[in-house]
Order: sequence, then structure tokens, then C-alpha cells
Amino acid sequence: MLIKVDNLKKSFGKRTALNGVSFKVEAGQIYGLLGPNGAGKTTTIKILTGQRRADSGQALLFGEKVFGRQEELLKKVGIVPEDANLYERLTIEQNLTFFKRLYQCSDELIDFYLEKVNLIDEKKTKVKSLSKGMKQKVLLVRALIHKPEILILDEPTSGLDPASADSLHKILLDLKEDGITILLTSHNMEEVDKLCDRVGFLHQGELVASGRPVDLKLNYSDNRVKVLYYSNEAVEENLVKKTLQLDDPETGKFIAELIQNGRIKSIHSLEPTLADIFVKLTGRNLADDGF
Amino acid sequence: MMAFKRILAILIKEAQDIRSNSNLLVMYLMPILFTYIWENFIPDMPAGFGAAFGLIFLVVMVGMYVPSMLIAEEKEKNTIEVLMLSPARPVEIFVGKGLLTFITIIIISLIINIMVGLSFNIQLIIIIATALTSLFAIFVGMIVGMISPNQMSTGVVGLPIYLLLLLIPQLSGIGISGVDFIARFLPTYYYLNILELTLIDRVAISDLYIHFSIIAFSSFVIFALLLYIYRQKGLLD
Ligand SMILES: Nc1ncnc2c1ncn2[C@@H]1O[C@H](COP(=O)(O)OP(=O)(O)OP(=O)(O)O)[C@@H](O)[C@H]1O
Ligand SMILES: [Mg+2]
Repeated sequence: MLIKVDNLKKSFGKRTALNGVSFKVEAGQIYGLLGPNGAGKTTTIKILTGQRRADSGQALLFGEKVFGRQEELLKKVGIVPEDANLYERLTIEQNLTFFKRLYQCSDELIDFYLEKVNLIDEKKTKVKSLSKGMKQKVLLVRALIHKPEILILDEPTSGLDPASADSLHKILLDLKEDGITILLTSHNMEEVDKLCDRVGFLHQGELVASGRPVDLKLNYSDNRVKVLYYSNEAVEENLVKKTLQLDDPETGKFIAELIQNGRIKSIHSLEPTLADIFVKLTGRNLADDGF
Repeated sequence: MMAFKRILAILIKEAQDIRSNSNLLVMYLMPILFTYIWENFIPDMPAGFGAAFGLIFLVVMVGMYVPSMLIAEEKEKNTIEVLMLSPARPVEIFVGKGLLTFITIIIISLIINIMVGLSFNIQLIIIIATALTSLFAIFVGMIVGMISPNQMSTGVVGLPIYLLLLLIPQLSGIGISGVDFIARFLPTYYYLNILELTLIDRVAISDLYIHFSIIAFSSFVIFALLLYIYRQKGLLD
């Protein structure tokens, strides 16, 4: 178990940011922490990386408490923070070289990853003249050049165009192939569905559901199918759309009849998306956040 | 064990960064400018007085202002996170960040020495005194940077301290009771004293050991305070 969070609680004054959050990430897996603004994603990450102290509960990396042991443990961790904390007056290369020197690692991976994110030609550009998405990519490269075993990313695709987001996804999947353990937060349900082995839904400081995306979809599926059929003879005007409950005995009979009479146009199973499940659990729509 | 390589990494980064930070570069030029004006345009100035004025400005204003801004800016822009999450230890971060200011202060004090044409012996005393006092100022500046939430507020937090360290020593000895008393507790008072004794009275280095010890001791105490505040407060809010 490379990452373990156990009954984590944290308040800022009267405001509760985390109210007993627990989850685990196994070696080589990608775990996605999903939740709307203010759910407690960043707070969880900051506690995991020893930047904040929890009021109670445990946050372990490599099975050890990070707070107070940052120097040793975080050497093996790559972190992409929520906001671009780069030195604006320095170039991309100077930023990355500084980081490399702090970690005393080799610089072979700097160009390798700059190439991958398409920034190799901007190496000598000062960070202050980069776009938000370009900065986001520099952050990713910075998090990777010391060959971390755990990678923690706080909304890594915010600000990226679809093509760049795709190439980031590819990089993450490649890293997973190499056995790196990844924890990421996101507002983007599709991204998480595509990438993550397991996901956790965070809402108002509580993990309201967690598991493999497929299992979640099965658990929260309400067994409905959408049937498109002709109410009479097969002409366009007679086309009817109907949602049927699969566990209702009438449904089977009804569909069998339609099939016998050759009046079915299509049947779709109504599998919920992660977004549907989230709305169901919290009454809130993630898409409202504009991502 | 301090990792020399990481300290060097921070020093190089600061040097690359400050080149395009015009705010701070202007600060470095002011002591030279002040010395030049004082020495050349103010009539009836005792010889060496211009240098004393430039030097105390250099040590207090550059020595405190620059590190306070450097730390506050890192906090404001969250880049301090990079340092905190890295293998660099707090002592290394403070030393690395202070080193550039320290080196530049020494270089500028040499320029001032040369501008006013001082003898080697006097230069030596002045450099030692400047080095010790600037350590004190740099650590104070770092504390100011640490307790200020952002760059803007370093001014508010720092101003009373700058004035105290800069003005009280200059106002002492003209008969304001209280001022004389407070001055005894300020290393800048002993620094100014050394400058006057060497630049005007030309005393020998052996007469100044007590002064040096007091300044060195204050620097040590303030460094301990810096680490203590760091432990209590951290660099992240
Ligand atoms: N430094 C702080 N001081 C006071 N409250 C804070 C602080 N940091 C976070 N909070 C509060 O804790 C809660 C969780 O915040 P957090 O930043 O973890 O959310 P998040 O899930 O990362 O949101 P987002 O999607 O907007 O990044 C919020 O209610 C927030 O207001
Ligand atoms: Mg966040």
C-alpha cells in the first residue's frame, strides 16, 4: 500500500474541510479523487505531502507519516500542485535545472519530457510569458525529472486544451506501465473514468463512494433500458421512445412481443456515467463547475 | 550536515532571478549613490562620513529589505512550496537565500571603500564589521519576510524595525534620553560606532574586539530566533 489515508479530519476554524476521509492506493494503480470546489481534495493532498497537519487520523506515504520526514520521503514523490508555483522571472530550463539541483538527480529526463509535452522549443522562454496550459505542462515535467515512485497531481488537466489533456493522459498511462503509483484529483468525470483504476467521490469533506469505475456503475445502475420501437407499422411517425425497468416482469414480455413482431428499432442499457452517480449521491452537478 | 550543492543551487537560482528584479537592483545602487552625493556635494562633511552613511544604509536597508522581499515573494507566489517539498532542509534554504545578499553587500561595501579611498587596514575593519552586521540584518529581514503574509506587508511589518535600527544609532549621543538607552541594545549602534571610530578617529582593530563580539553575538541570537520562529510557524500558512 503506497498511499494510505485513514479517518482524516481537518477543520479551518469553524469550517470542516475533511470529516473522516479514508482510502488506499495500491502500488502501480491510478486513484482519482473527484469532487466539486471546496470538497477537500487539495486539503487531502497537502496533508499527504506534509504541508498541513491533520487534526486527527493518518496520512501515510510508503507506509510512513510524512510530517516531519519530508526530506527523505518526498524525494521519491512527484507533485503537481494546484497552482503554477514556478519562478516567473526564470526560464523553463532554469526552473527545471534548479529543481534538478535540489534533488541532485541527472538532467537526462528534462529534455525527454519537454519533448513529450511539446515544450522543447520554448526551453529558453521565461515562465511569465507562458500560457496557463503551458505552465501546467512545465509543472508536470518538473514533477517527473527525479523519477518519482509516487506521483500526486492536483487537477493536472485544468487549463489544458483537449489535445494536450490527451497527451497528458498518455503520459500518465505510460508511467503506470512503468509501475508508478498515481493519485490525482479532478472535476472531470470522463478523464477519471478513462484513467483511474479506482475513484473516490469527495463531497463536503466526506468520501461518499469509492471503488472501481465499473463496479460503481454496476452498483448505481438502476437496471433500466431505453427502447426505441414502432407502435404500429414500421414508419417514422410511429417511432416511440420508452424507458423500461429491467427487473419488472412485464418488461421481458413487452420486449419479447416487440421482437416477435419485428417492431424494435434499438435497445440501449442505461448505464450511469460517473457524473450521474455523483449527482445521485450529492444532489450536485460537477459540470456546473465549468470544467 | 548541510548539503553544499543544494545551497549552491539556491544561490544560483537567486542570482538568475535578481538580474531581472529591478525593484531589488535599485536598492543595491542607493548606498553607492548616497555615498557619492554625501562625499561630493555636501559641504563641510568630515572625511569618511559619507561612507559611514552609505554603509549603514547598505547594511540595514539592503541587508533587511532584500531577504524580506525574497522570502515574502516566495510565499506569495507559493514557490516556497517547491523548496519545502524538496530534500532541502530549512537551514540550507535560509543560508542559500541569504548568501546572495551577503555576497553583494560585501562587494558593494568594497566599492564604497574604494570610492572614498581608504587604506587597507581601515578597509579590513570595515569589511569585517559590515559582514557581521549584515548577517544580523539578513536574519532580521528573513524573520520579517516570514511573518509578513505578502510582499506588500513586508513594508508595514519591516518599517518600524528599519527605522529603529537605522535612526536610533544616528540619534544617540545628542542628548535624547531613552534613545541612548535603546541604542545600547542595537548591533547597528555598535556598527555605526565602529565606522566613526575607524573613519574619523582612525582607531586600531584591537580596540574594537568588544564591538565585534557584541555584533557577532546578536547575529547568533537572531539566527536562533529565526529558526525558532520557523519551527513555530513554518513557511507555509
Ligand atoms: N487555508 C485555508 N483557510 C481556511 N479554509 C480553508 C483553507 N484551505 C482550504 N480551506 C477550506 O477547506 C475546504 C476544502 O478546500 P480544498 O481546497 O481542499 O477544496 P478542493 O476540493 O481542493 O476544491 P477546488 O476544486 O476548488 O480546488 C473549503 O471549504 C475551503 O474553504
Ligand atoms: Mg483544490
